Amino acid sequence: MRLLTHNMLSCNIKGVTNGFPLRLEVEKFVEKEVDFSAEFLRNIFPKIEWKALVDASRSMGYSQLPDEADSSMLDSDDFLKKFHHALLELHLEEGVLICPETGRRFPVNKGIPNMLLHEDEV
Amino acid sequence: MNTLFRTTESPFLQYLNQPSTSDRRRRISSLPVRIGLGRSTRTGLAKTTTRMMASSSSAATETVGREVLKKGIADFYDESSGIWEDIWGDHMHHGFYNPDVQASISDHRSAQIRMIEESLSFAGVPEDSLKKPKSIVDVGCGIGGSSRYLARKYGAQCQGITLSPVQAQRAQALAAAQGLADKVSFQVADALQQPFPDGQFDLVWSMESGEHMPDKKKFVSELARVAAPGATIIMVTWCHRDLSPSEDSLKPEEEKLLNKICDAYYLPAWCSAADYVKLLQSLSLQDIKAADWSQYVAPFWPAVIRSALTWKGLTSLLRSGWKTMKGALAMPLMIEGYQKDLIKFAIITCRKPK
Repeated sequence: MRLLTHNMLSCNIKGVTNGFPLRLEVEKFVEKEVDFSAEFLRNIFPKIEWKALVDASRSMGYSQLPDEADSSMLDSDDFLKKFHHALLELHLEEGVLICPETGRRFPVNKGIPNMLLHEDEV
Repeated sequence: MNTLFRTTESPFLQYLNQPSTSDRRRRISSLPVRIGLGRSTRTGLAKTTTRMMASSSSAATETVGREVLKKGIADFYDESSGIWEDIWGDHMHHGFYNPDVQASISDHRSAQIRMIEESLSFAGVPEDSLKKPKSIVDVGCGIGGSSRYLARKYGAQCQGITLSPVQAQRAQALAAAQGLADKVSFQVADALQQPFPDGQFDLVWSMESGEHMPDKKKFVSELARVAAPGATIIMVTWCHRDLSPSEDSLKPEEEKLLNKICDAYYLPAWCSAADYVKLLQSLSLQDIKAADWSQYVAPFWPAVIRSALTWKGLTSLLRSGWKTMKGALAMPLMIEGYQKDLIKFAIITCRKPK
């Protein structure tokens, strides 16, 4: 699971208002090389919840992202490379996604999150 | 909303005790999945549900029913996905054919691709680089055929969700093999509780998954919820014929036929295309369009049957398992349903207001 995907996932248990972002518990992660596209990064930047990305990348052991970011930083090649690496190249293979409000644990196996709810959570 | 749906009750899942008419009316608006007795042949699944039913309240009944259905769907696709892919490839949906044409086996894959393109065209999805979709959700994604196709076509990011862990893994593996791992990703999740915040996607795609949804209202609300302002929603799904104004329900023999199909394919109750349109209207969605494409998919089931009767088809079926075989045996019922104008292949599309 890439952190781009993590940035879109939220806990949808009934009654939960604060289901995003999910905390990461990392058992196994890999780094995969992905083709760099500055244009893609510039287009996706406005849709990214920055703090969630920073926290998620830190839990994967990558702490090179600045705490805050604004669009002027998209002119910097150095920033784009770090953004690219965190967003697309860090993959959670085995671990858990944890709802910030309820603590509910969603497993990630072989890179695939299982977000199915139990019937009493619906 | 209570009398919105006049629809079949899935016999796969029926009340152990027949509900009173007033019970039925109250429940119709959410088209619940109901648990119950088996049919003339008791399967393991029916036995399990009967035992679970023994001391349940009706609310718990519905809850257990949903779980049984979801597991049934997941297991069915876990078991049968491989054999389908082996014979038909990575698109698990009908092809779109010129009417009255006898299609050869090599035409089918291009017909399945044409189904995707005709659906996008019907819905008026923009193609220019500014307005084309950048973020797509594939609801009931199977092994990701549509997800990969759409991601490639628009250069977009696509998220796929499926109940089947086997399908999700296969979808991801195919994406990686095709160099699309950076564009598409797959999750095991429930279309009735999509794990996404509101307004995430420019294109919300449901290709032949709606028939599995036990609560059509919830299904459609979730599609609308995750759609961004201005997004296009496309549903291609199996429906029963629209009821005429004087009708309260389908005829008994029609219900009987659909019930047999429900049983084999893990489908809860059916509704009509008109029912979907009413749901979309109730959610204030715009540009609602619906069409009956049954004539354009007519060659499909005969072709699937022919493929099952080949040496490869038969040996694969025997190896794959009982659920898959039951599904295969139900194929002539689908043809019967289409021929009787009972089953309709419908496309329903709309836009989320800006």
